[in-house]
Amino acid sequence: MDFSVVIQQLINALTLGSMYSLVAVGFTLFFGVIDLINFAHGEIYMLGAFVGLITVGFFAGTGMLASHFILVLFIVLIVAMVVSGLAGAIIERAIIRPMRGASDLMMLLLTLGVSIIIREGVMIFYPNGANPQAFPDLFPGGSVNLMGIVLKYEQMFVIGFALLMVLLLHVLVNKTKYGRYMLAISQDREAAMMMGIDINKIITFTFIVGSALGAAGGVMNGMYYNIIKFNMGFLIGIKGFSAAVVGGLGNIYGAIVGGFLLGFLEMFAAAFIPGGSQYQDVIGFAIVILFLVFKPSGIFNEKVYEKV
Amino acid sequence: MLALKNVMTHYGSIRVLRNMNMTAGKGEITCLLGSNGAGKTTTIKTIIGLVKPSEGEVLFEGQRIDNLNTPQIVQKGIAIVPEGRRVFPKLSVEDNLLIGACMIDDKKRIEKNLLKSYELFPRLGERKTQVAGTLSGGEQQMLAMCRALMSEPKLLLMDEPSLGLAPILIKEIFDTIVRINKEDGTTILLIEQNAHKAIAIADRVYVLQKGEIVMESHGEDTLSKERIENAYLHKTVDKAV
Ligand SMILES: Nc1ncnc2c1ncn2[C@@H]1O[C@H](COP(=O)(O)OP(=O)(O)OP(=O)(O)O)[C@@H](O)[C@H]1O
Ligand SMILES: [Mg+2]
Repeated sequence: MDFSVVIQQLINALTLGSMYSLVAVGFTLFFGVIDLINFAHGEIYMLGAFVGLITVGFFAGTGMLASHFILVLFIVLIVAMVVSGLAGAIIERAIIRPMRGASDLMMLLLTLGVSIIIREGVMIFYPNGANPQAFPDLFPGGSVNLMGIVLKYEQMFVIGFALLMVLLLHVLVNKTKYGRYMLAISQDREAAMMMGIDINKIITFTFIVGSALGAAGGVMNGMYYNIIKFNMGFLIGIKGFSAAVVGGLGNIYGAIVGGFLLGFLEMFAAAFIPGGSQYQDVIGFAIVILFLVFKPSGIFNEKVYEKV
Repeated sequence: MLALKNVMTHYGSIRVLRNMNMTAGKGEITCLLGSNGAGKTTTIKTIIGLVKPSEGEVLFEGQRIDNLNTPQIVQKGIAIVPEGRRVFPKLSVEDNLLIGACMIDDKKRIEKNLLKSYELFPRLGERKTQVAGTLSGGEQQMLAMCRALMSEPKLLLMDEPSLGLAPILIKEIFDTIVRINKEDGTTILLIEQNAHKAIAIADRVYVLQKGEIVMESHGEDTLSKERIENAYLHKTVDKAV
């Protein structure tokens, strides 16, 4: 097998894995602080992509897309992350919090309901929302060619930005008091309350962080594939969830590793198994089923959840 | 400092506390005794706001606190050493302590309180980077105590701090309770199964039975203290036989 082909696929896998990781982290954060499997999270990813697209629209006529595309890129990402982060906070505050204490099945149905509302809402209210939307190419087409390995600028950006987000998350969780409170809540919520932590505030904060990261993934998806659609959140939601389960729900690093692992498996299945690309999407589900059966605590041995 | 007035607490439709009247005087050690399921932990949870009384009032420094939420109550100066320690198992000793200080913004004060914890129990200082879940039971109890003290509480609620510890450690814990009380003037409400030891250091003693106070003694009234001790130990013996 040609070595450079393997490297090429590795880079493609890293790109895909970056997006999965950004989504998986949200699942794991929400599960960590309130034991919730939030099936609306995939829709936040989609929402991020659409907010990104709208934001790009503002720059369309200005010529800035050509002259300052890096700046535009960051503005688009920040706007998408802020708007979606707030959307996540609103969902938590207005819909999930009042239902806290309800059975897990109820919560599952609730988040499924929310996901349908968001998805259908975009389809109905976004102009021509039922059809795929073109997401403009923000990068001036180009790539670095390293000994026969093609590194597209987009890919470098996606991977780099995802790693930056992972790093920031690591700092947030381990070096700030908010992170410490999040960890405390995920380990023993009642004890955290007894210490005087305002757990509602921290839970909302967690939703903002998780949703913003998911939205960043959505924007990445848009700028990488140049096409987005109102129903793109469904599959990514299940994949992000799978990645989080593989890493051990509740474990942030597990989710990141799980996301990249899923990206690798999908890419390599598509590239090296004859006819494998047809099964690319199935792989995630196959893996998650295997993990649920044989190792429900995930590769990082997170608390085994007896929940769903 | 703390007063419960005709407090009634329910879990759903099950009544756990009835007509509870109790006072913890400023600077005193108040001890609440009672057999398993009497409602001791529920009393503490009512004070800290984890469950709301369905009737009656909880007063702290003369102000009602039963309508406040837990962070607000902790902010007023009440801290808790919960039943079963409840340290955060995957956080380091130091992070556990920092969580106890979540009400304090001043970094210098937090630093000072950390040093004080390590002075109180040098073993914690030696293990400050170790995750709490791997501490021994005794060390976890020390951590739970110091974590509560990190907030510089005026009132410290302790729910069976000596449970499951070796006699030598029990002595260390009791010595520390007295020290916190005498040196810092911290008011203490102590729940104990270890009635003999608890009564020895207590200024006030209450006995709780099926959610009601059935006996109390206060101050130098050693006679009634003895009576409680006899009655309580007698009852425990009865049960054991
Ligand atoms: N969350 C709850 N829901 C329903 N009932 C509860 C709950 N917590 C406690 N109880 C009941 O309330 C009663 C008093 O419980 P509590 O924990 O206050 O007892 P305790 O005096 O602390 O006992 P122990 O010495 O065993 O710790 C018990 O009968 C218990 O079963
Ligand atoms: Mg108890």
